Amino acid sequence: MSSITEYFSGLFTGIRSLMGGMSVTWKELWTKKVTQQYPENRDTLVISDRFRAELVMPHDENNEHACTSCGICQLNCPNGTINITSEMIETAEGKKKKILSKYSWDLGMCTFCNLCVITCPSDAIKFNNTFENAVFTRSKLIQTLNKEGSKLREKKKETLAPKGE
Amino acid sequence: MAEQIIFYVLAVIITVFSILAVTSKQIIRSATYLLFVLLGTAGLYLLLGFSYLFAVQIAVYAGGIMVIFIFAILLTNRPGENVKSELPIRRLVALVTSVAGLAFCGHIIYWNVKKVIQLPLMEELTPQKLGHIMMGTDKYQYLLPFEMISILLLACIVGAIMVARRR
Amino acid sequence: MLLNYSHPLEISNLTTWLDTTLRSSMPEFWVLFIEFALVIVALLTAYAVIALILIYAERKITAFFQARYGPNRVGKWGLLQSLADMIKILLKEIVKITRSDRFLFFAAPFFMIVASMATFGAIPFGKGLLAVDFNIGVLYVTAVSSVGIIGVLLAGWSSNNKYSMIGAMRSGAQFVSYELSAGFALMTIVVLAGTMQFSELIEGQRYCWNIFNGHISSIIAFVIYLISGHAETNRGPFDLPEAESELTAGYHTEYSGLQFGFYYLAEYLNMFIIASIATTVFLGGFLPIQVQGWDAFNGIMDFIPSYVWFFAKTAVLIFLSLWVRWSFPRLRIDQLLNLEWKYLLPINLVNIVVMVILVLTGLTLKDLFGII
Repeated sequence: MSSITEYFSGLFTGIRSLMGGMSVTWKELWTKKVTQQYPENRDTLVISDRFRAELVMPHDENNEHACTSCGICQLNCPNGTINITSEMIETAEGKKKKILSKYSWDLGMCTFCNLCVITCPSDAIKFNNTFENAVFTRSKLIQTLNKEGSKLREKKKETLAPKGE
Repeated sequence: MAEQIIFYVLAVIITVFSILAVTSKQIIRSATYLLFVLLGTAGLYLLLGFSYLFAVQIAVYAGGIMVIFIFAILLTNRPGENVKSELPIRRLVALVTSVAGLAFCGHIIYWNVKKVIQLPLMEELTPQKLGHIMMGTDKYQYLLPFEMISILLLACIVGAIMVARRR
Repeated sequence: MLLNYSHPLEISNLTTWLDTTLRSSMPEFWVLFIEFALVIVALLTAYAVIALILIYAERKITAFFQARYGPNRVGKWGLLQSLADMIKILLKEIVKITRSDRFLFFAAPFFMIVASMATFGAIPFGKGLLAVDFNIGVLYVTAVSSVGIIGVLLAGWSSNNKYSMIGAMRSGAQFVSYELSAGFALMTIVVLAGTMQFSELIEGQRYCWNIFNGHISSIIAFVIYLISGHAETNRGPFDLPEAESELTAGYHTEYSGLQFGFYYLAEYLNMFIIASIATTVFLGGFLPIQVQGWDAFNGIMDFIPSYVWFFAKTAVLIFLSLWVRWSFPRLRIDQLLNLEWKYLLPINLVNIVVMVILVLTGLTLKDLFGII
């Protein structure tokens, strides 16, 4: 007896749940379309700030960056996309100092894991969200991040404006 | 004239595919050729105006039995891999037997052709009329054989279930 | 009577005009020859065009169900998308599979497409647009459409690929099971209408469609027919023969180019065929909505050409099929067979008996309200 009632109750609950499913999709049929029609909507396109598209090295108005060319990012990169060339110079005080001559980054090899940005001790590099990076040759993917004639920002600026430690 | 052309086309199809069906070494190809033979037979029924028989021929043979055949072949492991040619003596026996059978059937058909032609042409066989013939109890009506066949089929199904359930 | 007005938009006007002009100028044999050729060309063209329209409609409606736009780049609103796809599929190379059964591999798509075309030819599209009118129309349709499954099985076998094979076996089991239910659902209506001929079936539904005429029993048969027809075409929640996450593409994995196109075309056309048979048998076919006694209303409704009615009703059913397809997750094979053998088939058998009782005791709507 119980199996018969089970059969019919199963049948009717099944039908009811199918109807419920169909009503959900019916509502979904009339919802607003979520498709972004990309090349046309360039002006209104919103890309999240957290999106990692390209590695950049921010320079301030004096054409100075924060990279001390310590090489930690290069060590941490799992794919070897970062290649730092540095040179030793002698400062006015007679100290030996290592300065950055070329910071090269290969977009084609990068997996955008963010390890370089996390490990950078001086916050010299970051990822931005300009994602239209397509080029026609692979050699163009190898980018030099430090600008022409840029130099290291002096340490004293930080001492002048200390953070609340 | 058109009917004659269609008849000869169907006859050629049936003959060629019958021969192919028995001579082919791959069993799945044999089954396919047999299907063409059955479809050709269905075409003959349609040519005669028996559209009910035509539909039943296609539904039962092409749609049912051939699907079972092909299913069974698909379930076998490498069918037709170790097929060898028969001995010449056995081939000869088979040839003689088939020619004898052909002669026997041909003889019967040949001697009955005149009678068949003299029979009055049957009017169109509608499904309603067919149903009455199947389900009636009068003379030339077939309720009893029909029910016998259904009981036979039921027995077959029960037997098949018993065979399948035995562990 | 408004009903007897000539309908300027009916295609049957054109066909009768063509027939009379041909007959006035040539002998019978050539008239028939030319007319047969024209019918074949018209049906093949309709087959291809309907497939293209269906593919476009399916992609658009699917997109709408998923809150997308669907194809919208080729032509206005993507209208030329399926045409472009067709050209691409025609130009693709037909790949020859090594160690496969070449003859069966090439023959298999033809079984599928011929079965679907032969069924397509028997559908009444409108007044005077019925290519063949067998007195066993309903039986013919179920019989001929069952040949298609052999194409699927042979494709699975001859591809020399285990995915194709498993897909074909699943498809075979599914088709054989659900064909039974579809046939029984149609038989329920044959009991009600007392005929299997499409023209008589439609004529009998002038004022009361079969789905209303047999009320409870008809509606159950209608729902069962839609479910099992849907399953027969390997679509929607029943598409496990080609479940791409398990079987790449099922029985047509190894096919490319035009041969794949045949399967693709046949799949869409089978959807159309199921919908149009349901329209013809349950929803009054190409007849307009008419109410007995309201002559003015009937006249207005009758002014709309019959093929428009037919395609409108079919489109509603196709939309229903797509709606179901995008609502439910795919069934497991045991659930699929349970649904057929434990639910649809017993309900169907009981339903036929109920229908017989309804007809014999005069409880159909036509008997109750005296509708012709």
